[in-house]
Amino acid sequence: MKHLFYKELKLCLPLQVPLFFLFAAMLFIPAYPYLVACFFTCNSIFYTYNQSVGNNDLLFTALLPVSKKQVIQSRVRFTVLIQMVMFLLLIPMIFVNHKLVPQGNPAGTDASLTFLAAALVLFTIFNAVFIPAFYRDETKSGKNFLISTIAVFVWIILWEGFMITASAAKGSVPFFRWVAENLDVFPATDTAWRTQFAALAIGALVYGVGTWLVSRKAVRIFERVDL
Amino acid sequence: MQLLDVRDLEKRYPTFTLDKVSFSLEPGYIMGFIGRNGAGKTTTMKAMLNLIHRDGGEVFVNGKSFFENERACKGEIGFVMGEFDCYRNATLRTITDVTRRFYPDWDEAAYEKYLSRFALEEGKKVKELSAGMRVKYALALALSHSAKLLILDEPTSGLDPVSRDDLLDVFRGLIEDGSRSILFSTHIISDLEKCADYITYIKGGKILASTDVLSFREGYRLVSGDREHLEVRRSKLIGCKEHAFGFTGLIRAKDEAAFASCKVAPADLESIMIYHEQEDSHETSVL
Repeated sequence: MKHLFYKELKLCLPLQVPLFFLFAAMLFIPAYPYLVACFFTCNSIFYTYNQSVGNNDLLFTALLPVSKKQVIQSRVRFTVLIQMVMFLLLIPMIFVNHKLVPQGNPAGTDASLTFLAAALVLFTIFNAVFIPAFYRDETKSGKNFLISTIAVFVWIILWEGFMITASAAKGSVPFFRWVAENLDVFPATDTAWRTQFAALAIGALVYGVGTWLVSRKAVRIFERVDL
Repeated sequence: MQLLDVRDLEKRYPTFTLDKVSFSLEPGYIMGFIGRNGAGKTTTMKAMLNLIHRDGGEVFVNGKSFFENERACKGEIGFVMGEFDCYRNATLRTITDVTRRFYPDWDEAAYEKYLSRFALEEGKKVKELSAGMRVKYALALALSHSAKLLILDEPTSGLDPVSRDDLLDVFRGLIEDGSRSILFSTHIISDLEKCADYITYIKGGKILASTDVLSFREGYRLVSGDREHLEVRRSKLIGCKEHAFGFTGLIRAKDEAAFASCKVAPADLESIMIYHEQEDSHETSVL
């Protein structure tokens, strides 16, 4: 598997991928729907997969002494690597954001551990829609990316809309006050830290289990694909 | 033990069926895989290597079931599908650096030897190579990991005659020690005449013949005669071409006596294939 990973790094990593990591700096913007920054990582994944189509990567890899299952597993792990690099970059950005925008984000979710959990769910949704569809027919990667982008933006709109609503209605609805004081804020209290760590754990669980299921599904599809 | 044993391989498409393809190859021999465009040569090779999902059949490499031991079997196979057309912006050095890691028995000296023999420069990008040079690079990779079995899909297409001849010499040299075998498809029948020990002939997804070249050729005769000979013996001709002075055609060797008054000559591989492709109404086994 390490050789397949090396192959991904040497032959399959598009130049755009490191550039798209720079979008983590969007958390410096005082008022912005920060989950959009994570969408650019989905763009990275699309470029990676799309470039592999032009490079005949699947055929080259399938001819190496590896099983078809490993071909998929290594690509999914590479996808996870790209997403985790972005995830790790977002962590210091949260603290920088807190220094730059201590009053919080009026345009959506605040930079917090809850935001990181939402980012993991966003990655899971993208993986679930894009990856199996890609292996069903790699020639339709553009269409599949469009569909997965729509799915991701539905999540962004729902999440950011919920947090804006919570912020606006915190004075009148107790649940929204709890959300605004414990989830959608840079954690200042022990309760907020605990709540947000729980949210992050749920996000990590969704991402871990979701991506594992995506990998299994993609393997099943790829086993039946004619190269 | 057979180095390659293909048994009843099947693949069904809406408009084409690979129909219980079976053949085998012992160590130390070269087998030519012939047939028209669309006859099923590439489909067979891809199905053998699990690149396309088969609907039935088994493939054994060196006694091991390919589909149950895919990784190990692939390690023993060198596969070339025409010209190398992957990672066009990468240099050969980078691609080789990645490839060699997958093969514990990678032979760097052999690789260097083939680079030199094929005049390949490692610093060049794939997109900078001509079609013929890309074929040579694919061959250099396939020949450098001590593969026991080489499966080559049209390896000589796109090569100039000198390079083709050189490559056929390479093939003969590779099997000399009796431990390796080569299965290669080609439309250039003269290449097979030069180096193949066995022939497998596929037509419309079915294997018509799989035997040694000598037996294959000796099973047929080329006949020529005037038109009156043709009319009374047409049913025994596998295929024929009529011209102003009579006809030239292919018959089975067992029917030679019926053409005693015609000019009879040994058949070459190309003629056998050409006349067989005219035989649309006969779908039975040749030998």
